Amino acid sequence: MSMSKRTLSRREMLRLTALATAGAAVVACSPAPAATSEGGAAAPSQDAVDIIATTSMPVNTFDNSLERAADQLAGINLEVNANGWGNGGWDGYSDTLLTRIAGGEQIDVIMIAIEGLGLLSAKNVLTPLDDFLAADSAAQETLENDVHVTLREMLQVDGKQMEYPFSWNNMVTYYNTAIFEEAGIEPSAGDWTWEDFLEVCTKVARVSGSADDRYAYSFWGSGMFGMAAWYFNNDTSPLTADWSASNLLDPKVADSLQFLADLILEHKVAPNPEGWDEGAQFLAGNLVMRTCGRWCISGLLESDFTTYDLQYQPHRAGPLKTVAGTDGWGVSTSSSSPQEAWEVVKLLSGTDASLDMVQLGGNIPALRSVAEMPEFAEYGPSNTAIFYESLDYAATVPSPTNFNIIEPILNRHYATIWNGEKSVEEALQAAHDELQPEMEKLQQG
Amino acid sequence: MQTTEISSASLRSAAQPQPPSTLARHETIAGWLFATPALIGLLTFTALPIIASLILVFLHYDLLTPPKWAGIGNITRLGSDTRMFTIYWNTLRLVIGATLLNNVLGLLLAVGVNRSMPSVLRYFLRTSIFFPVLTTTASLAVVWRFLLTQDRGVVNYLLGQIGLGPVPWLSSSNWALISAIIYDVWKSCGYLMVIYLAGLQGIPNSYYEAAQIDGANRLQLFRHITLPLISPTAFFAIVISLIGAFQIFDNVWVLTEGGPGDASRVIAMYIYEKAFKGFEMGYASAVSLTLFAILIALTLGQFYGARRWVHYE
Repeated sequence: MSMSKRTLSRREMLRLTALATAGAAVVACSPAPAATSEGGAAAPSQDAVDIIATTSMPVNTFDNSLERAADQLAGINLEVNANGWGNGGWDGYSDTLLTRIAGGEQIDVIMIAIEGLGLLSAKNVLTPLDDFLAADSAAQETLENDVHVTLREMLQVDGKQMEYPFSWNNMVTYYNTAIFEEAGIEPSAGDWTWEDFLEVCTKVARVSGSADDRYAYSFWGSGMFGMAAWYFNNDTSPLTADWSASNLLDPKVADSLQFLADLILEHKVAPNPEGWDEGAQFLAGNLVMRTCGRWCISGLLESDFTTYDLQYQPHRAGPLKTVAGTDGWGVSTSSSSPQEAWEVVKLLSGTDASLDMVQLGGNIPALRSVAEMPEFAEYGPSNTAIFYESLDYAATVPSPTNFNIIEPILNRHYATIWNGEKSVEEALQAAHDELQPEMEKLQQG
Repeated sequence: MQTTEISSASLRSAAQPQPPSTLARHETIAGWLFATPALIGLLTFTALPIIASLILVFLHYDLLTPPKWAGIGNITRLGSDTRMFTIYWNTLRLVIGATLLNNVLGLLLAVGVNRSMPSVLRYFLRTSIFFPVLTTTASLAVVWRFLLTQDRGVVNYLLGQIGLGPVPWLSSSNWALISAIIYDVWKSCGYLMVIYLAGLQGIPNSYYEAAQIDGANRLQLFRHITLPLISPTAFFAIVISLIGAFQIFDNVWVLTEGGPGDASRVIAMYIYEKAFKGFEMGYASAVSLTLFAILIALTLGQFYGARRWVHYE
């Protein structure tokens, strides 16, 4: 075979390149082989539909659910992947999720909490579940009879059930029982005031700038949920009751922040939250009290840490309130198999999945029947019952549609209070000046 | 005469178009094939996004709903965005600090490890200094975050041992950016050390020997031989480190999340936040184009200025 003597022209080369690129693109865009289910589930069936669920929880929470799906959901290959990224909380979670969906990624079943529900609904990412529920009396009955109305309604938008509740959280005080005992402090009966709390703080703190420092308490310092745990106990909130405007200039907001700032700057019983790992320090005995939801039990279980108990947040003014937020599973509007996705929603919200979560020290289950099981008390300290008991006076964490915009605004300004660079009033005024236009934008649609 | 005829024939032959050899053709194909992956990457990940940004500037687009025409709204908004100016000021300070320290330290370290020493020690030093470059930025930043925490942080503990008070490395507006610079220099100066080392090793020894015979001392050798002869390397190092510093994102994100307030927020973070938190792709594109313009201007300025101080042999 004789070789041509002529040089390859630029045009021919471009043609060749285009052909190679097209070939590569075809290979790259061809459907990937069905994803293998995680957690050692059975090999996927070739004819089955792939359903991909995404969650904020550690994916091992659903290892057993994957096996159940393989057994119980014929024709469905389930994959559960993590959507979390960094320290973003629900605002970062929502952003990441929307970006993934906009990028064309297949996500059939979505976990979202109330903090991101408004945004996802506004972006038409979630399919209302009402039609599925109407055709599924068992699921409807469970939702009505085994899920507290507060939790159910938290996941509704304009009267439509957008997510099926799976778990929820409130914020309580975790305290080290060994240190309390050592300091001769009798734990509060649950009706303690901020003054009582401060008195305990000053008794157990041991801060001198040395390696033996022990802080009495640390708080998140950012995040709507963590801060609402304090605001709600002073009968205030950063937003108005209908979440339509800034409420930062309410004197009770300033009072709440001043109390927390004083813990750091004046009484020196709390560290600056920036860069502080309160989970690790609580385990190490360098921190006596912290505020967290039930999911913090997970790290304590893993470390076999048992010398702790729980109590309600201390209270200052107004009716007794605990901040609460619910998450659930919903069906994505982008799913090409919504009926199969609904089956997965039910499986991932069911009793078995809830029990798996409880045993890993995760959130409080939305199903009352699971919260009443002995396992719920078994995987937690003696006062675990307060998690579910508080539901009757739970107040929803402020979660407007622009939650992902306003939470970072608040966080930025809080940080300037904790480091003492701005007075509470200055920081709140600056935050209000930034927050209010965003809320007005929301009103204007 | 015969010679002349042969020469003329050769010349005529040379003047006529010659059919390319098989080897030349193969080389051409090979050249294009080698360049193709890079070209595809350049077109897909650089040229197309730039073109897309130019279009997006004139649109309101949130990724999920169809774009709407914005006219020059996104561009005029730049003028009233006071946060952007604050963040550019942070970025400028970070860029100057990181570029200066990375290059000075990189050069000094290169000079240090280029000296005669036992080869084991030389390899140990070079590897140790270069090692942070090989490690994931975000994971190292998490470690630094623990080291620099004000309360119970390792660095403050060590400072306390020598009687120095705790420094609010991450929680103070005055220190957060400095912490980011320190981290970046620790992470990146090893890379610049390698570049400068290559430059130093390309300088012929004979220049130093001749200067030493003429009585030049060490400082004079460095000033009059080393510096001029590594100036092309320094030019390259400064250009890439400057552009790299403008694009710093992950280490600041993990270390301080841009805080406290906006004290350590840099422009790459701001663009990301506008695009993927606010879903304002049009405005994010407008901000990114300001960065693009600044980088082009700075690079051109450097090329222009390089005529004065960069010496090629």
